Amino acid sequence: MIPTFLGISVLTFLLIQMAPGSPVYTRLAGIDGLGVGDHDSAAIIEQTMALYGLDKPIHVQYWEWLKRLVFLDFGDSFKDHRPVLTRIGEALPVTLQLNLISIFLAYLIAIPLGVFSATHPRTWTDSSITLLLFILYSLPSFWVAMLLIFYFSGGDYFNWFPAHGISSLGARDMTLWQWTIDRAWHFVLPVICLTYASFAALSRYMRSGMIEVIKQDYIRMARAYGFSERVVIFRYALRNSLIPIITLIGTLLPALIGGSVIIEQIFTVPGMGRLMFEAILGRDYPMVMGGVVISAFLTLIGLLISDILYAFVDPRIQHR
Amino acid sequence: MMRILVWLLPLAIVVAGCGRSPAPTSTALDSSSPEFAALMQEGERAEGDWVIANLPAEMSSLNPFTSSDAYSTLVLNEVFDSLLKLHPETMEFLPELATDWEISEDHLTYRFTLRPDAVFHDGVPVTAADVKFSFDTAMDPTVDAPHLRNYLQDIESVELVDDSTVEFTMTKPYFRHLLVLGLIDIIPAHIYGEGNFNQHPNNRRPIGSGPYKFSSWETGQQLELIRNEDYWGERPALERRIYRIITNPDAALQVLQQGNMDYMPLLPEQWQRRASNPQFEAQFHKLKYARASYSYIGWNMRRPQFEDKRVRQALTMLLDRESIREEIYYGLATVTSGSFFVEEPEYNPNIQPWPYDPERARELLAEAGWTDSTGNGRLDKDGVEFEFELMITNDNPMGEQIATLFQESLQTVGIRMRIRQLEWQAFLQDVKSHNYDSSMLGWSLAPYPDPYQLWHSSQAVVNGSNSVGFIHEEADQIIEAGRLEFDQEKRIAMYHRFHEILHEEQPYTFMFSPMALAAVDKRFRGIKTYPFGLQLSEWWVPADLHRYP
Repeated sequence: MIPTFLGISVLTFLLIQMAPGSPVYTRLAGIDGLGVGDHDSAAIIEQTMALYGLDKPIHVQYWEWLKRLVFLDFGDSFKDHRPVLTRIGEALPVTLQLNLISIFLAYLIAIPLGVFSATHPRTWTDSSITLLLFILYSLPSFWVAMLLIFYFSGGDYFNWFPAHGISSLGARDMTLWQWTIDRAWHFVLPVICLTYASFAALSRYMRSGMIEVIKQDYIRMARAYGFSERVVIFRYALRNSLIPIITLIGTLLPALIGGSVIIEQIFTVPGMGRLMFEAILGRDYPMVMGGVVISAFLTLIGLLISDILYAFVDPRIQHR
Repeated sequence: MMRILVWLLPLAIVVAGCGRSPAPTSTALDSSSPEFAALMQEGERAEGDWVIANLPAEMSSLNPFTSSDAYSTLVLNEVFDSLLKLHPETMEFLPELATDWEISEDHLTYRFTLRPDAVFHDGVPVTAADVKFSFDTAMDPTVDAPHLRNYLQDIESVELVDDSTVEFTMTKPYFRHLLVLGLIDIIPAHIYGEGNFNQHPNNRRPIGSGPYKFSSWETGQQLELIRNEDYWGERPALERRIYRIITNPDAALQVLQQGNMDYMPLLPEQWQRRASNPQFEAQFHKLKYARASYSYIGWNMRRPQFEDKRVRQALTMLLDRESIREEIYYGLATVTSGSFFVEEPEYNPNIQPWPYDPERARELLAEAGWTDSTGNGRLDKDGVEFEFELMITNDNPMGEQIATLFQESLQTVGIRMRIRQLEWQAFLQDVKSHNYDSSMLGWSLAPYPDPYQLWHSSQAVVNGSNSVGFIHEEADQIIEAGRLEFDQEKRIAMYHRFHEILHEEQPYTFMFSPMALAAVDKRFRGIKTYPFGLQLSEWWVPADLHRYP
């Protein structure tokens, strides 16, 4: 795990510094155009490089970064000089809330739908579900998001849900219960956008996994014993067909915190996607590194969780 | 209060989706008409009510020196005062924290006398020591304010004469010194003097002496300012300013239409379509005013194709700016002929932009030696075909449309242009290192312009802003003399000549100065449009129309 992690961090460190542009020029360019070419400005550029710690050779910079990381110090963002962890701490809960709800819903819909499709193969309901899911999967989310805002957030049609943000004015003074309701109300449209494509894909996995299992001898055996169809499907077939779906959880977790730049931008959600996107565009090196470290860590955790779940659904896999 | 120190800043040309639609007939009042001005005076000025405005992106932080983005500037303007301010219309200097200022004969010492009654939001009086502290901090190399330090390099010393008098000594005379010294925000030494300035806790809850106090900031959502009841100057009428951060302009427009917001900037397409119906116009005033910026295509004159000014003139004549203005900008832009702001006196009104004239362009190209000698439909000279690359920023649909039209137009005379889209940072890097043929970009402008940064030959170096490599002896002389000319009228006359040179030389194909567009709820009065933006502090709402407590 540690070598993997080191590899990821070295590579990112190099890549981000090799990308054209520099945070110092961004800073000067922000207001001063392309920078001024006379001698005195060169001194200003040097001083700023030193302030950001970019005057040292890159391996020294990496080593210092790594040393600080041991004490969980991710450094300060170049953008506003706040600790990287503080900024992630603001964005991560929002993204987690949003993505946990959407993943939960995606599984909640995908599993029964997949089971239904698998147990009624080649019927007209299966075909129409397949067609519908295929259409859903193909819809670009930014387009769906704009349509949802246009139709359900008080354009010329319904005014049911807010078009932006994650809480109402005055959310600070709400009770926990009011706050939860308010947050949920704001999340309806973004969650729909985040969910529809993933449950479409997931239920396909579920369907094919299930069909695979149903063909197995032990299912035929169970039927031969005269168990009811319900018991056969839910007791014997379902657990085994969950394995491919569980493999996906491992990859879902990093996606969970990655957030979605597009959806966050459209709904003004202050989450991880936008935070990282802006950090990359602004060449905010410590911020980018912080984000990468955390998603690398979560990927590893995700893999661990799916391993544990395997053992849970499949008694053949056990810890030794 | 006005923080327009900036000379220039590069703009990725206004991003907007476009299309073509016939202009609908409008019944709304034009914000520059006398009827609108009369309406804005109607009723009795009353205090109270709030204004809820849209911020299209979040500010980075709220430190007057280390934050450099446009949105923090917008907010900080209200929270901090500076020594002087500019009259929004005439641009003359007016007293703010300083009641009086004296400039020595040699233009090297500037002495400011402070008003005695100004206090910071925590009740501590503003003294000369705070002024000195502010400048010392901004000039400190460990403070992350490189963009400001660039302008402060000519300060030799800042001396306290007494509690209410401060004297600046400059290393050399320059007509913009008063602007730089007068417009830097004054920050309280007793607050910002302690701890690490870059990471100061007050960077997210600023304390100044301005007409509004900071109230709250919910990251990624909204920012609230409340009126400073103890302000030394004229109190603004509106009690609260709420800025809602909405990054999606279409969602913002919807929030506006629901009545949950009072003011937002509009994109040309929104102005033309979603905001052009009787219902919208009954609810909102639509403001339209010149924006101090322009877009251009810069010709890298180090490239052999662009050495000859006749070629550059011909290229300008091949860009149909008038149709682009009509079709792509819906007429909401002005075609410019030079690098000064169209609304300012430095702009020479006698110079007409080169017309769209492919015939004349062909002649000019032939004069410069570019003819189709091989008969393959492409222009060539000395065995080399005329081709080049136009670099534009990504995520820039308007720029793409312009570039495509230009490409087609060049094709007809036998010039091949390739379009290359680049991410902003990569784009800047190539421009700074002169690694491009031509590039489409924009500049935003400030009052009291100085062409030095963009056009002086000394800036035609790597990392310099004269990236096209414009080197012209007479222009250099004018620019150098202009920096030492303290009589504005004389300077303007010099700049008019400079404008002629630019027009003749065409180092850029100057394109458009787009209009700033905005929608404001109709209950507001006192709205005026100024060349450098709106002044929300002048707005008020008649008592019977108040919406918020």
